[in-house]
Amino acid sequence: MTLNVAVDIGGTFTDCIGYDDEAARVVSSKSSTTPTDLTQGILRCFEKGGLDVHALDTFVHGSTIAINTVIERKGARTALVVTKGTRDVYKIGRGNRPEAYNIFFKRPQPLVPRHLTFEIEERMLPSGEVLTAFDVQQAREVARAIAAESVAAVAVCFLHSWANPSHEAEMGRILAEALPGCYISLSHEILREYGEYERTSTTVINSYIGPRISGYVDDLEGVLEKRGFEGNLLIMQSNGGVMSPLTAKRVTVAMLESGPVGGFIAAARTGEALGYDNVIAFDMGGTTAKTNLIRDKVPQLAHGYYIGGYATGQPMMLPVIDTIEVGSGGGSIGWVDEVGALKVGPRSAGAEPGPVCYGKGGGEPTITDANLVLGRLGAADFLGGEMPLDLEAARAAIERNVATPLGVGAVEAAQAMLKIAIMNMSLAVRGVSVERGYDPRDFVMVAFGGAGPLHAVEVARELHIPTVIVPNYPSQFSALGMLLADVQHDYVRTYYRKLGEADFQELKKIADELTATGLQTLRDDSVAEKAAGFQWFLDIRYAGQDFAIPVPIRLEFVLESDGGAIRRAFDALHERRYGYQSPEKEVEIVNVRLNAVGKRPQPNFPQIAVGEGAEALRGTRQVFVEGSPVPVTFHIHDRARLAAGQRIAGPAVIQEYASTTMLFAGDSATVAGTGELMIQVGSYPDGR
Amino acid sequence: MAVKGKLDLVTLEVIRNSLPAISNEMSYVLQRASFNMMIYEVRDYCCGLLDVEGRLLSQNTGGVSHFVSDLGEVIKDGVQRFGVDGFKPGDVVITNHQRVAGQHLNNIMIYSPVFLDGELLAFPAIRAHWVDVGGQSTGFGARNATDPWLEGLQIDQIKLYDEGKLDEKVWSLIRDNIRYPDSSLGDLQSQIAACRLAEKRVQELFRRYGRDVVWAAVERIFEQTEARCREVVEKMTDGVYEASSLFTGSAYDNHEPVQVKVKVTIKGSDMTIDLSGCSGQRRAPINGRTRAAPVIAYKALTNPLEPVNEGSFRPLEVIIPEGNFMMAQYPAPMASWSTVLPTVIDTIFKALAPMMPDRVPAGHLGVLGGTVVFFGANPRTGERFVTQSIEGGGWGGRPWEDGESASVSVCQGDVRNAPIEKMELRWPILVQHRALRPDSGGPGKYRGGLGLSTRVKAQVEGSWTLPQTGRRPYPPEGLAGGKPGDPSDALLRLPGEEAFKSVNAVRQAVPEGSEGMVYTAGGGGWGDPLERDPALVAWDALEGYVSQQAARSEYGVVLEPGTLQVNIEESRRLRERMRAARTAADAG
Repeated sequence: MTLNVAVDIGGTFTDCIGYDDEAARVVSSKSSTTPTDLTQGILRCFEKGGLDVHALDTFVHGSTIAINTVIERKGARTALVVTKGTRDVYKIGRGNRPEAYNIFFKRPQPLVPRHLTFEIEERMLPSGEVLTAFDVQQAREVARAIAAESVAAVAVCFLHSWANPSHEAEMGRILAEALPGCYISLSHEILREYGEYERTSTTVINSYIGPRISGYVDDLEGVLEKRGFEGNLLIMQSNGGVMSPLTAKRVTVAMLESGPVGGFIAAARTGEALGYDNVIAFDMGGTTAKTNLIRDKVPQLAHGYYIGGYATGQPMMLPVIDTIEVGSGGGSIGWVDEVGALKVGPRSAGAEPGPVCYGKGGGEPTITDANLVLGRLGAADFLGGEMPLDLEAARAAIERNVATPLGVGAVEAAQAMLKIAIMNMSLAVRGVSVERGYDPRDFVMVAFGGAGPLHAVEVARELHIPTVIVPNYPSQFSALGMLLADVQHDYVRTYYRKLGEADFQELKKIADELTATGLQTLRDDSVAEKAAGFQWFLDIRYAGQDFAIPVPIRLEFVLESDGGAIRRAFDALHERRYGYQSPEKEVEIVNVRLNAVGKRPQPNFPQIAVGEGAEALRGTRQVFVEGSPVPVTFHIHDRARLAAGQRIAGPAVIQEYASTTMLFAGDSATVAGTGELMIQVGSYPDGR
Repeated sequence: MAVKGKLDLVTLEVIRNSLPAISNEMSYVLQRASFNMMIYEVRDYCCGLLDVEGRLLSQNTGGVSHFVSDLGEVIKDGVQRFGVDGFKPGDVVITNHQRVAGQHLNNIMIYSPVFLDGELLAFPAIRAHWVDVGGQSTGFGARNATDPWLEGLQIDQIKLYDEGKLDEKVWSLIRDNIRYPDSSLGDLQSQIAACRLAEKRVQELFRRYGRDVVWAAVERIFEQTEARCREVVEKMTDGVYEASSLFTGSAYDNHEPVQVKVKVTIKGSDMTIDLSGCSGQRRAPINGRTRAAPVIAYKALTNPLEPVNEGSFRPLEVIIPEGNFMMAQYPAPMASWSTVLPTVIDTIFKALAPMMPDRVPAGHLGVLGGTVVFFGANPRTGERFVTQSIEGGGWGGRPWEDGESASVSVCQGDVRNAPIEKMELRWPILVQHRALRPDSGGPGKYRGGLGLSTRVKAQVEGSWTLPQTGRRPYPPEGLAGGKPGDPSDALLRLPGEEAFKSVNAVRQAVPEGSEGMVYTAGGGGWGDPLERDPALVAWDALEGYVSQQAARSEYGVVLEPGTLQVNIEESRRLRERMRAARTAADAG
């Protein structure tokens, strides 16, 4: 028997999904997150789901603990060691002020103070040659000085260590000797890419959260072991892959987006299983909506991001699933500004106090309240009826805060709130598709998160996306994705050279080294060699440009010194991204990237019964649809009772435990053999 | 709800979000695909959408601020030149001429008409800094150019594409008269690609909602933006507020300092910014023909975080008489047109400070940063190169907190310095340090931010441009009792020389191994330094932002050597003595 379980700890809920391959049985449970002792929430989820820790084969875990440690600034007292002359690089950053007109702007606040930043006499050149030898004596003194400061972590970032890491490695050994038990990160082991400020920041974050996060992983291992766990523990990382606890403890910074990315993996796998390799994943939760584009089964990655936003955030340059996020969630608040314009979000009522209709003290009307007032949510059907909603309070709040200031009725106000949220979300979907050169009509949308299925069809219609898939377990989709994720590691090595002058022997040597590192890490993660797969990229640009595009290439191009093939792949990609190509211009290589994947066995989800599903019909509800002051009759279906092959025509509402799907006139859904709702999206009646 | 022909709330919001999204998408494409550091790193460009009357529908966020006001002037001029009926789909116009909205010639503007069903709707426009436009020097304008012909190639509203057909003669004329044609023509291609993209987006928007609805929405957006600005100004106290500053004059003008005199009048919700008191146009190329300074100041004061459109500036009246150095007449030299702008803006804030003491920071570096400019040739490849990095300086203390350190000026927004590793990868130079300058922040209850020092050794022969900024004799001012920041400097050391020397160098030829160093100014302090919390002084000393000596002499705080703990009793006595000495000096 194979029992695989994933647990996703979010801010509010801890979600658990397990799959028993032999019995073809899916187990799911939800419990409140226990912030003081996160492992308790995990155990409670196991209990609720009737899962025996002893019987687990694989346990995959994702958590927001790493990102919260940075945002709440609750990391370790950390020291930083840098090359002489660069003590202030981390504080100075790039000197920019993205909020151009804000004369009270704030720069990112360093996680290491200046008096804990130490300089070492040493200097590398970008060629990898040593300009100034490493001063061992001084390094020992610095290590002693750091020891006297009782820090729990140290980060080391020397100039050009991406080209030659020997000085950093030596510093690492000296620190390890002088500071037993201290958490040490060396920049070349975290991110071997040029750009000293961003590399320093990434390395510092790794050290800053290192003691707490590695301790958390230790605790988790301890708790599981005590309960008799003998299986394989895996940790979710920001790039959408999983890693072993060993790797996680070393590269804690890879865990930053560990929670939310699971859903995007699940979206890719769901699409693939149903025959769609190109997917737009759409996740709408309580506070935000996020979207990612999946091409050829692979969620698109971004090479870094800014924690807390571009204007004031800390740069973290490891790959993360590339999402565009907007402040439109179920809890987003509708309000009228001082000149009478209606806004939705970015402020959110969150889980506490939550929407007005939850009756937990919320007073400002939210998207969930608007859905309730319009009849899209049933007051008695929320969370399977466990949580009755207060329709009158929701209506009164919309009346008071939105309808009256605008001089319209409550229904019209609720319709407008919803429409604005939908437009904002469709701008986000546009951002990952149209604005990056992809036509949304070539994609299907997979919609998840508690509020995703409720709004997906309308967002899809805005962008002419023809098909929406509502997967199984949409509200626990992140946990499901963790179950499906492969082991995955990304490596980068700066190699800066004109393509015409590239030394393919040297490139091959870099490829060999990266391959060896990748294989070793995959082995550490218990991946069999035959399950390993490598995807290579070269970051390329026209000579003189600054932004390089990661171009997927076959390793043979390098082995056969086939510059022409590399060149053609780049020109085509440039044309797609930026609208033109210049085959006459010289191009240069900037970085070599490797994406090393260890395939994990994929569960075969059970088929559901075939039939007409007539017993799924649960009555009707009056719903106000876009632009109409009078309600329309919608049929209500119980998703749990739907049968494979069944077709439902809109207008209809399909309800399940923690989510609701809306179909409008002209839309229709077919139930897939494995239970997903396959929705054919109708076009606008006016043909736009 | 979004019925064609009728504007509703939702459509209004959609259009409000869509217009800036188009400008930002243009900016994304331009920046990613550009070939010159002034665009991808310095972000010295703007992308906007304008209607046929030259009204600004939207402009990209981030980037250099001083482009904010003048795109419309060029469009109006173009429409006058070609006539409203003189544009055809596929046209692309190129211009940099200084008779309208004059800036340095490096700022090349490209715009193209958008048509739908035969109707001319709007113009996407991009003004971007090319690395070279010919003339006597490349790079950051020609600092010694005393007329536009010395400065470079002048292009006056020329159709580069006529109905989609490239005018090869214009193209080759440009190519043959600039130094780095690959880079600049690559940028030109990116500018055109971004305009073409915007054409498509504008057409989609108008097709979807209908022209009447879009134009009705635009009017509402302008009105609402204007109302927001008026609301802020309404709360200010009516009155006339004046201030002045000085900026170093050049040898061409007998070293006579440039006068910056501003008069701000608040009346109800109207604001007038009058620069009539400023110097007349100069023989040195610091002239411009721009409303940028008042417009940036107004934006910062009223509505700093929202996107810009025509409504953002409608309630502002700007008075700059013809012949003023900020409204210079062709052919006044403009190669360094923007250098005085940060000082003009700071002076506007200074004028308003007595009226709104809790909302104005002390003076900031006041110039466009320290620049690291070295010209040379790569010995391996023979390729000529110019280094470039913009180094930030200190911002003034604020009425409630310290100023930020080492950040770009009020005109520069999302302008980034060049990473050391990137500079060394690209050019045969060695960056020896990039470091904050202790004690450079003006003392105050809230300290000014620190300036920095960047030191670069050139590994080849070549020439340095290391100019003194016009603010060296006039460092960033303190406010409300705060003291000035430490001024900027430019230094050079030739091989064999003992020490660095302060220089004012433009393309000074140097042998291999010379070292250039740039100091940026610290920001002015806000409030009396003797009122600064001693714990903050102790922290600054621990961090090395303030020396122990300055802690004592400027802040009256005595720190225990070694531990850097505040000696409370001695500090109290010292501060008393310093206050008494001050009173005595005032009386004397």
